[in-house]
Amino acid sequence: MRTGRKKTILVCCGTGCLANNSYHIYMKLKNLTAEAGIDAEVKPIIKSTGCNGFCEKGPIVKIIPDDISYYRVKLQDADEIFEKSVLRDEVIDRLLYKDMSTGNRVKSQKDNEFYRKQMKLALRNIGEVDPANIDDYLERDGYKAFRKVFFEMTPQEVIKEIEKSGLRGRGGAGFPTGLKWKQCASYDSFPKYVVCNGDEGDPGAFMDRSIMEGDPNTVIEGMLICGYAIGANHGFIYIRDEYSLAIKNISVAIDAAKKRGFLGENILGSGIDFDLQIVRGGGAFVCGESTALMSSIEGKVGEPRAKYIRSVEKGLWGQPTILNNVETWANIPLIIIKGGEWFSSIGTKNSTGTKVFSLVGKVKNTGLVEVPMGITLKELIYEIGGGVIGNKKFKAVQSGGPSGGCIPESLLDMQVDFDTLKESGSMMGSGGMIVMDERTCMVEVAKYYVNFLSEESCGKCTPCREGLKRMLEILNDICKGHGQPGDIEMLEEICDTLSETALCGLGKTAPNPVISTIRHFRNEYEAHIFDKKCPAGICKELTKYFIDRDLCTGCGLCKRNCPANAISGNAKSAHTLDLEKCIKCGNCKDTCRFGAVKVE
Amino acid sequence: MDIKIDSKICKAEYGEYLLQVAGRNNIYIPTLCHSDALPGQASCRICIVEVIENGSSKVVTSCVFPITKEIEVITNSEKINRMRRTLLMLLSMRVSNNEALNRLMVEYSVPAINRFTLDMNEKCILCGLCVKACEEVGQYAISTVSRGITKKVSTPYQEPSISCIGCGACASVCPTGAIDILEEGSKRLIWNKTFELMQCTRCGEYFATKEQLDYINERLGYETEVLLCEKCKKNAVSESLKNIVQNL
Amino acid sequence: MHKYPKEQRYTLAILQDIQREYGYISKESMEKLSVYLDIPLSRLYSMATFYKALSLQPKGQNIIKVCDGTACHIRSSVTIIEEIEKLLHIKPGETTMDGLFSIETVNCLGSCAIAPVMVINETYHGKVTPILLREILKGYGGTIDEDR
Repeated sequence: MRTGRKKTILVCCGTGCLANNSYHIYMKLKNLTAEAGIDAEVKPIIKSTGCNGFCEKGPIVKIIPDDISYYRVKLQDADEIFEKSVLRDEVIDRLLYKDMSTGNRVKSQKDNEFYRKQMKLALRNIGEVDPANIDDYLERDGYKAFRKVFFEMTPQEVIKEIEKSGLRGRGGAGFPTGLKWKQCASYDSFPKYVVCNGDEGDPGAFMDRSIMEGDPNTVIEGMLICGYAIGANHGFIYIRDEYSLAIKNISVAIDAAKKRGFLGENILGSGIDFDLQIVRGGGAFVCGESTALMSSIEGKVGEPRAKYIRSVEKGLWGQPTILNNVETWANIPLIIIKGGEWFSSIGTKNSTGTKVFSLVGKVKNTGLVEVPMGITLKELIYEIGGGVIGNKKFKAVQSGGPSGGCIPESLLDMQVDFDTLKESGSMMGSGGMIVMDERTCMVEVAKYYVNFLSEESCGKCTPCREGLKRMLEILNDICKGHGQPGDIEMLEEICDTLSETALCGLGKTAPNPVISTIRHFRNEYEAHIFDKKCPAGICKELTKYFIDRDLCTGCGLCKRNCPANAISGNAKSAHTLDLEKCIKCGNCKDTCRFGAVKVE
Repeated sequence: MDIKIDSKICKAEYGEYLLQVAGRNNIYIPTLCHSDALPGQASCRICIVEVIENGSSKVVTSCVFPITKEIEVITNSEKINRMRRTLLMLLSMRVSNNEALNRLMVEYSVPAINRFTLDMNEKCILCGLCVKACEEVGQYAISTVSRGITKKVSTPYQEPSISCIGCGACASVCPTGAIDILEEGSKRLIWNKTFELMQCTRCGEYFATKEQLDYINERLGYETEVLLCEKCKKNAVSESLKNIVQNL
Repeated sequence: MHKYPKEQRYTLAILQDIQREYGYISKESMEKLSVYLDIPLSRLYSMATFYKALSLQPKGQNIIKVCDGTACHIRSSVTIIEEIEKLLHIKPGETTMDGLFSIETVNCLGSCAIAPVMVINETYHGKVTPILLREILKGYGGTIDEDR
């Protein structure tokens, strides 16, 4: 029974699991540990960790060094877990991950389908450290890279190493990071600024949230290294307003880093200062655009400006500024420790390293996936993701958020990297991968994105403001059955102008969801416009579910499965469907064994 | 340095804006939100041109594009004209039947479109010149409100602004005449605020609000004793110049 | 206000503190801030209407935030929003007459695995269906228009 080993219990307390009650599980286990009276040989340490990424199967509890991972843990399981896996060395089978293909239970996180093909670089510490404990970070080579840079390397050597790594910005456009730093270092104007873009606005993307919540120190360390390389003494971390936990965790980490001498005045006794401030966003997606973000830091509205003079030359308050995304920063310390050459050996030739994707939507294993660049979409969605929910037919995957496009089935063998995504009419963006099935209307998806952008646009320039307005009008009409001949051509014309004349990236990439859905799913547009039909059965005005009284046996299966209580009827007699309440989810059609539920 | 615009060689200083260089060389580029007094709005996008650099071309707005190397510029390629036409079409959907816009619509043969829902009362193209003018005058009475499709220009809370001095700089700089400035007798109404106008001591015309003149005095640092309207001021100056010359 | 230096760059931070403290930004607060920072009122008004985290109207006792991020959207978040409109007679951005509920749509909350997600005050509700919605809202009291 006594193992003589120190056990550590890790409970995921990222936003996703917290939403599922993980904090109470953490507290319960903590109390059980305290009450049990610490055994000299078995010392369980409870840590609340950051997001594991596998939110679909949360709350997640991991026990090391036994390497047992439990999923979908409930509060009532805490006692059993403590008794069997902490005090003893037993494994609770029903809480283990169940492999989709073999049906076997898998003990270690490393062996389950979701994690097996992943390579955690940016996410290396997440789920393994307590983000509030700087010693956890230090134990895992924390601030080792910074020390190396500070005491053993020149700024030029640091920049060269980043250049060698081939790292490209992980926020969206994929601009070479080393080149950006080199350009900024060349300007002889002070003060200079280092900025972290934590305004993750792409709906469906939460990798930056995960890093800021779960491993805030890696971001701080990355920024310190940059400050040294370009000659900056001030940094800002701009965090989206909605991410309260991230703001809290980064704040705690900054305080701890200051106490240890990594930040603030006289860093590590060198006489050099570096101060880092958090700036909280105000609820504006456009503030994820670099010049709008800087405008927001300056205390103004988040309106972008022309980028004919780049921010590395004139950015924050007209000074040379480096702005990079959270995930980019998270890679920096690792590149310094393991070398740029090592990093460049992973991934593809022009897109080195790994990328964190948020695999969400109609996919079985929803969560954050970090894999080397070059993985195929098929592997991502089917092997790691486990395929489409309910084994429905795959239709498309939307990558890059509102700036990206839809990728159809025919392109599933594409090896994902910055360039291949761009060629297919989409883009990397933040790395969101939203899986859509046959029950997704692609015209409605285009409308959704245009609606989103029309509200988030700053509204300054004509093409974006007026273009999105009219595109939305057209798409709304089409989805309601009022589409007109010539609408597709009008959409294409507006998109073409918008992509070249808009003032900033938001406007320039806004056409992507529309153009890519027209390109790959033109038939759906035409069905809406000419036949007044929605093939996917989603657009309310064009879809009617009804029950064929001749075929209905009154079994009540559809009624039981309706999430909106739209079906009524007595046992053994034909049921009826109330169109007013119907949410077009299609559950009734799926469950009916007699083919009595039809779509018009 | 030398740059080429529409096959014409033009001299340019490093950092100069392309629109300026073109203007100086009598090369016409249409604009709406540009004002020599308040440059740099870059919101209408009508002044777009193609810049060819290292074999590839990009579309830029000439009003804020700085010349930093020897480039070739095309102001009226098929692509540029097509996009300009679309931009004008979009603007004409926002602001219907406007003189300033109509001129450009005719110039670029923008077709009449009958597909969208129009707001016949809208006259503002959100160029931002009025806000900038008020800023330059120093009053900051108006600003842009909200964002995206619902963006507009207004005084805070759509109420008469305490800071507004009724100078009308905003109305004079507006390219589409969207700001209403109503004058009747000794009163001026602008942005929902009524002002008393002062009379010119020479010709008796009502010409400026009291607040405007007070503000001018504040900026000048002294009280101007004689109140003269623009016309009479010019006459007074030319008269005194005539006197000076005659006495020489 | 006074814990911040009088610099333009703290404008948003101060406005958010006011929003958090009072639930909205009153005209009075804006006028006071304008004096403190020496920033024109029109600029502050511009900021308060630009940033969606700030509101000029008081909000309800219970703030319902329905996530309309893409993952939630394709799992029918729109249905939830429409149901709330049916039950409480308010559209996103509005508050009920009795001041009990306000509803807004928010962009991705990062909890895509339990889509569609709704947050009331700080409590997360995942996998929300129209039936579940009625139960949840009843728990907060007030009148719900059940047209059954």
